[in-house]
Amino acid sequence: MLDQVYDAIADPTRRAILGILAEGEVNVGNLAERFPISLNGVSKHVKVLERAGLIERTVQGREHRLRLNAEPLREASMWLEHYRTFWDTQLAALEAFLLKKQRGAGSEQAEHPREDGR
Amino acid sequence: MTVTDEAAPVLMVRRQMAVPRERVFEAWLDSESLAHWMRPDNFTHATVTVDPRVGGGFRIVMEGRTDGGDYEHRGEYLAIEPPSLLSFTWISKATDHKPTVITIEFHERGTGTELVLTHRRLAPKAVEAHRKGWTDIVRLLDEALARG
Repeated sequence: MLDQVYDAIADPTRRAILGILAEGEVNVGNLAERFPISLNGVSKHVKVLERAGLIERTVQGREHRLRLNAEPLREASMWLEHYRTFWDTQLAALEAFLLKKQRGAGSEQAEHPREDGR
Repeated sequence: MTVTDEAAPVLMVRRQMAVPRERVFEAWLDSESLAHWMRPDNFTHATVTVDPRVGGGFRIVMEGRTDGGDYEHRGEYLAIEPPSLLSFTWISKATDHKPTVITIEFHERGTGTELVLTHRRLAPKAVEAHRKGWTDIVRLLDEALARG
């Protein structure tokens, strides 16, 4: 599923489609008008995005309305959250370790000076 | 926007430290140092091996987790420019065992250091396209979340 999301967003036209949908629902015809490619071409891109779960389609009579589903993007970004916490923690641990080592070395290191004045 | 296609930052973490940057830089390539600080609180210790040269690898096994289980991280050094820049790949369970890239800049701030770490994911295929994709996708996600 994740790989499908990555593949879906690898194409500039598909990213542009997501960009339009991020502003709100559109129907397929109106969406296609905004691209210099055929309706058929736009439909193919829409299908890729649908398969990745990024677009939901509702059919009302002859009208096909499309809306963005951000959930797969959220999943794809889960590792970001994981690592934000991880690196925050590790950098704090790094600093604590280095400060302890600095003190342990018994050096009379000056405290971190104020960045010049003002 | 300062985002470039070359190195689209995905996750960026900054931290100021009252420690000279030479010391901070060294701590990233020294196995004893890494074993001390490169592990989350719920692990009791880490076993670290490093081969600190471009193309060389490292392996960090975080061990003795309170709920059991080890956690392995490994990667390869891409750039080593003491004391200002370090870049390496990072592979772990949390990255789906796929390579991600970490770049760390060490800036001199008085007698201290400002460390800027960026962590970005490389997708399995079409790496360049995906880099671009990630900057857009993070924006899209922000917008979507902002909308609720």
